[in-house]
Amino acid sequence: MKKFLNLSLIIFLILFQFKSLAEEKNYHKELITDWSRIFPDQNRNAAGPKFFKYIIDKKITYKDFVEFNKLYCAVSGSLIDPNSEPDFLYVNESDTNSKICGNYYKCCIPCSCDIMKYSKVQKMKYKFVDGIKEFFVFTIKNPCNKKDFPNRVNKDYFCDGKKINDKQVYNLNDRIVIGLLHDGRSCNKDEIDYVKSHQVTGRYCELRNNTPLENLDAGMGDIFIKLAR
Amino acid sequence: MKIKINEYLKKIVVLFFLFTPNILYADFFEDITNLIVDNPKRLSYGVSVTDVNQDGNFDFVVTGFGYLNLALSYEEGKLIDIVKQKKFTDEFRRTIGVAACDIDKDGYEEIYFLNTDTYSGEKKYSDRLIDLENNNYIDLFEIEKNQRDLNLTAGRSVVCVDRKGDGNYGVYVANYGGPTRFYEYDNDMIVDKSAQLNLAKITGGRAVVAGHIISDKIDVFAANERGANFLYENNNGIFQDVAFDYRVDDAIQNGRGTALSDIYYRGRLDILSGNWLGYHRAWVLEKNEFKDVGNKDFDKPSRIRTIISADFDNDGFDEVFMNNIAEPNKLFRIKDNGKFEQINFQVGLEASGYGTGAAVADIDNDGVLELLVARGESKEQPLTLYKAIVNKENEYLRIKPLNKYGAPARGATVTLITNKRKHSKTIDAGSGYLCQMEPVAHYGIRKNEKNFKVEIKWTNGTKKLFKVSELNQTITIRQK
Repeated sequence: MKKFLNLSLIIFLILFQFKSLAEEKNYHKELITDWSRIFPDQNRNAAGPKFFKYIIDKKITYKDFVEFNKLYCAVSGSLIDPNSEPDFLYVNESDTNSKICGNYYKCCIPCSCDIMKYSKVQKMKYKFVDGIKEFFVFTIKNPCNKKDFPNRVNKDYFCDGKKINDKQVYNLNDRIVIGLLHDGRSCNKDEIDYVKSHQVTGRYCELRNNTPLENLDAGMGDIFIKLAR
Repeated sequence: MKIKINEYLKKIVVLFFLFTPNILYADFFEDITNLIVDNPKRLSYGVSVTDVNQDGNFDFVVTGFGYLNLALSYEEGKLIDIVKQKKFTDEFRRTIGVAACDIDKDGYEEIYFLNTDTYSGEKKYSDRLIDLENNNYIDLFEIEKNQRDLNLTAGRSVVCVDRKGDGNYGVYVANYGGPTRFYEYDNDMIVDKSAQLNLAKITGGRAVVAGHIISDKIDVFAANERGANFLYENNNGIFQDVAFDYRVDDAIQNGRGTALSDIYYRGRLDILSGNWLGYHRAWVLEKNEFKDVGNKDFDKPSRIRTIISADFDNDGFDEVFMNNIAEPNKLFRIKDNGKFEQINFQVGLEASGYGTGAAVADIDNDGVLELLVARGESKEQPLTLYKAIVNKENEYLRIKPLNKYGAPARGATVTLITNKRKHSKTIDAGSGYLCQMEPVAHYGIRKNEKNFKVEIKWTNGTKKLFKVSELNQTITIRQK
């Protein structure tokens, strides 16, 4: 009994010390600090891929990777408030066209609609400092051949001539990775029904997705759509 | 068994008190606002500390936004407004920023009042540059030859810069929605030299400091809103913005208050930068880049205005006072190795105070700093005055460098070297938000501290080192 009590006392002390000494990592602050490194020309329009590339190039754990990827909008390139809640949605997988469900951290509601309609997800495998992990990422097709490449997006970020610029964005099977689908997995029927009937991913997105491009003024407007369609 | 459990519980209780943060504390400040004679509610902004009436003592200059500019002098135990002349009090020009320095090299400081009658862009009334001549306060900008380059852009803070290190001070004016200005005497005329000095950038200027930051001459750090900060490296009196290279550009935060502080007690000045509802920064220079060492208590976003680094309680460690608007103020002690320890306090918290500016000075010459807080903006409030409750055993040392003209050597760096630390302080040229502190390096003395030496690095980069054998005094050193 005495041994047990002493042992629990030591554990209590160790835990207390660690709690008081450890500084929690502030992912949001780190992105704010490095923002001008990520976007040297200050243009972050539709530049979610720049965030993704910057994050995955860090030598970090999978947990860090996940946390960083909650803090920017894959569609707009905006930073997201650390306390934001994600939208639960699905996106078609590029190879199988099956629906993959998961959480998407967005800056505003229209971005959820745009990502559902104009991106595909792909499974990706990557070696982090704590091991190899597999996860789903949002991707868009190579936009570099587009004649109507949106002029408010920095093309040099994405393209090296007609090829994807591997130094600036992450290239996965000739598609650009624009962000992470959190908790991604194959959808079941209930989940699909939930997404379809949800007031944002269902009703609002139906309205937005049927609005002519020239009339879109919410979210990123038509910038991301022109890039990704 | 019962006895053993009791022993165990006793241990737990002892450990609880050992490791739980002490929530029972004596207050840090005492409120001495009652020393201010005639202290009505008003809209006040920036505060500077300078010798307004040239009597050898420093006074608080408090700006008024649609209210009088004040010159609070310590006389017979009270702070009394001593200037009634209209060029100085200037009720209608809406003054917010203020800094003083000897622009005409007569050994006395002129006072630059930055007026702002609009939030951004073009304004109606220009700034004033107040000089005392034959007991009359005159505005040097009203003299015809000085009217060529009047500042007609809204602005915020001002800072004095001896850019060539020769005692010829200029004034950097952090404008908002128009180009930065830099006023200096040239051929007996006050002219704007911002363009030729590479300073005429357009931004949302908010706060600015000047001192030995990265070069041996006077550099300038400007914390901006809706745009990247500037860090101007002084290269033979001409400036180059190196904020991006040194990683202090903080491009998507909104700068508000800034100060220079020797965060590691290592004999150099680093940068504190408070961001409006953003992460506050404690930048220390490491390998040609500034690294933010503020912990999560320090960097927590707040509605910050002025930020001040000073040793209020004379314990030999600097405190950082964060003056927030419509939100409680905060206080930290910088311990060794750059550790920020939050200080709990009640007096001076001002939870419903609309802080706009603040400045420190040992206004009563007793060896303990006073803190004057200006309040206003969206609610008229009186000034408040605080003083730390100091352990009577604590000692102090104050160093007051004067330049070769006999004026405060604003921008010079004083370093106290002892067996415990190598602690640099700037002779404040303008700091916080809209403000300027007293031009004296004030040090509290640590326990068991000895072997006191002081080094002064003048604005031209040359140094003077001397031993100090007696504490509890103000040592005035004049540059040769």
